Amino acid sequence: MKRLLFAAVAATLTFGATAQQPAQPNPRDAVPDKMPNDIPYGPPISLARAQQAINAAVAESQKRGWKLNIAVYDSGANLVAFARMDGAQLGSVQIAEHKARAAVKYRRETKAFESGVQEGNLHYLLTLDDVIASRGGIPIVENGQMIGAVGCSGGTGSQDEVVCKAGADALMKR
Amino acid sequence: MKQRPMLTLEDCKQISAAAEAEAKRNSWNVCIAILDDGGHLLHLARMDGATPANARIAVEKGRTAAETRRSTANWQERVAKRIELLRMPEVTPVQGGVPIVFDGTCVGAVGVSGVQSHEDEQIAAAGIKALG
Repeated sequence: MKRLLFAAVAATLTFGATAQQPAQPNPRDAVPDKMPNDIPYGPPISLARAQQAINAAVAESQKRGWKLNIAVYDSGANLVAFARMDGAQLGSVQIAEHKARAAVKYRRETKAFESGVQEGNLHYLLTLDDVIASRGGIPIVENGQMIGAVGCSGGTGSQDEVVCKAGADALMKR
Repeated sequence: MKQRPMLTLEDCKQISAAAEAEAKRNSWNVCIAILDDGGHLLHLARMDGATPANARIAVEKGRTAAETRRSTANWQERVAKRIELLRMPEVTPVQGGVPIVFDGTCVGAVGVSGVQSHEDEQIAAAGIKALG
């Protein structure tokens, strides 16, 4: 009886092995030589420049008749300036802040998380601390150093991103 | 239907600029937060040199004043006499949060943090005064 069971298990294992597809290389196993997104954290953005970014974002949003929340975080991932346009939705107050904070903490546009989850199937990204997988958070880089980030929320992701870019572009040439 | 007044972004910019001017006149670095009557953030400005904690505290003072329709100085005084008030939920009973009253209605509040509490309140009051 014992021997019979062993044979059955062995047969199953063998069958399992032969049924498998040839192993695909896992792209996440690749070990790059360089650090990704290696932008140094610079000095914190000043209030004057943060407000400059917000004013540019608000102007772009007004031009299109949109109502958004706009937040600016400094290079230490702390809130520096915030503006809610008339009639912008309340739930987006925290989302705008979250996008700006995530853009600083991970030194990349929050669109990278959105694409990673949607197109790249990198669901593990959602388990990383303080990630938000939605576009509309953009780092502000000055002289090769990140001084802060802008975050926008209140419309569709694509609307948020257009306004966010207008804010970030007021401070840097890209 | 009853109508109620509401702060606009332009109002907030005006309040914030006046508060910032008052702080600058005294060489103070503070954070100025403006919230609506539901305690939701409308506008925030953290001056260069103000700390990350100042941003958090300014918002919480403003939230307390906006939601309870009383200044946080009033809360501070009452807590001094009645320690049990410290158990009130989501209340920051430290001077520096001032409600914005328009036509007898509370439309929001200003919260300031960064210097001594009575100076924080002085800045908040200067901001509200600019509304006229």
